[in-house]
Amino acid sequence: MTDKSDILNQVLVQRQRVAERLAKIEHVVAVMSGKGGVGKSALTANLAAALGMRGWAVGVLDADIHGPSAAAMLGARGQGVAMAPEGALPAIGMADVRVMSMDLFLEDDNTPVSWQHPGGLAADTFVWRGTLEANVLREFLGDTDWGTLDYLLIDMPPGADRFETLMRIAPALSGALVITIPSQVSHMVVRRAIQSARQAGAPLLGLVENMAGLADIQGETIQELFPDGGAQAFATEMEIAYLGKIPFDPRLARTTDAGRPFVLNYGDTPTGRAILALARKLEEVLT
Amino acid sequence: MKFLCNDCQRVMEFVDNMASEGGGSMAIRYACPNCERSISMITNSGETQVVRSLGVTIGHEAIHAAPEPMAMIRGALAGQRTAPTVYEGPEPEWTEAALKRLAAAPVFVQGMVRRLYGDYARQKGYAEITPAIMTEARDALGMTEM
Repeated sequence: MTDKSDILNQVLVQRQRVAERLAKIEHVVAVMSGKGGVGKSALTANLAAALGMRGWAVGVLDADIHGPSAAAMLGARGQGVAMAPEGALPAIGMADVRVMSMDLFLEDDNTPVSWQHPGGLAADTFVWRGTLEANVLREFLGDTDWGTLDYLLIDMPPGADRFETLMRIAPALSGALVITIPSQVSHMVVRRAIQSARQAGAPLLGLVENMAGLADIQGETIQELFPDGGAQAFATEMEIAYLGKIPFDPRLARTTDAGRPFVLNYGDTPTGRAILALARKLEEVLT
Repeated sequence: MKFLCNDCQRVMEFVDNMASEGGGSMAIRYACPNCERSISMITNSGETQVVRSLGVTIGHEAIHAAPEPMAMIRGALAGQRTAPTVYEGPEPEWTEAALKRLAAAPVFVQGMVRRLYGDYARQKGYAEITPAIMTEARDALGMTEM
């Protein structure tokens, strides 16, 4: 029995395309949390810029399909996506970071991510949306002409389900960087995400405590922002390397909103140094 | 899904399929390899879309060349920007003088400037980027520096 659409072969070709793209990328790192609101996307943008400042070729894949922000945070929003014979050209952001995000496809800020539904069965989109959005991730990975990269950071959305999808599409993932904040509720949610990543077979590169205190913009002191969340002890308990803490600096929010990662201009502040130290630790972990 | 010809006890074979206008449903024809009796299975919109969500082409559209990059996103996303720019030729070459001028920009924006000016040159059909073209692109793009 033959299938003229040859769907199986098309799926195999898709997988092959992803494998070929990723073969040119030294390290593919998922930045995940499980918990929303921990500053994961801003940290991803700044970490990417920090790696770029250190001379590496870096890309960011924004896997948050419904809440894309990477292009804005890296100052790459205006460029859109261009198609070339080699594939879709990613936008180029600050520090030469290559960016692919759903934001680059959308008409304007008022346009949500929604899918056309031939036949008018809008009410049934839940049946196929999950599969389709998994394939968005697959197209981002396989159809983007990333070129040769040292690091591709994948900014994961909150929740653990997309991570499992990522592992199926890109089994050669170098590992996951897990972000938490100093809060027991955050640890509770992150604990499940870590276990889920383990079950999916992902190497866990380390835990980072974000928003670990409020940096005084006049000096070097760090004020407590949350009660001590004990992230180091949490990392030990979860048997995952503790890669350090990043204090919050109000200028980080302002600069990141303006599309200019904080670390580019404030590398010599407590928060900037912590981000650069994280970049160095990530390099070490992956060496 | 497979079908059995009850008279011949043979598995029917796929013959062809036909997507409806608008792609909402498909008629998929099977025939018995022995007696040539045929049947057509009609899928509804939901079933068709489930298969499409795999990012594959189906029906008559599947007489395929290699799919375009991001074909599924571009085909299914509602509320897209205007069609993405499509470049067919090679990337324009940067002259030495243009590279020297690019190197004067802050290092963390050089890649972005290179991309913006490269896009401009490709859209204009320029084979190389010179300082004069950089100036032209800067003015056209409303940039204040570089």
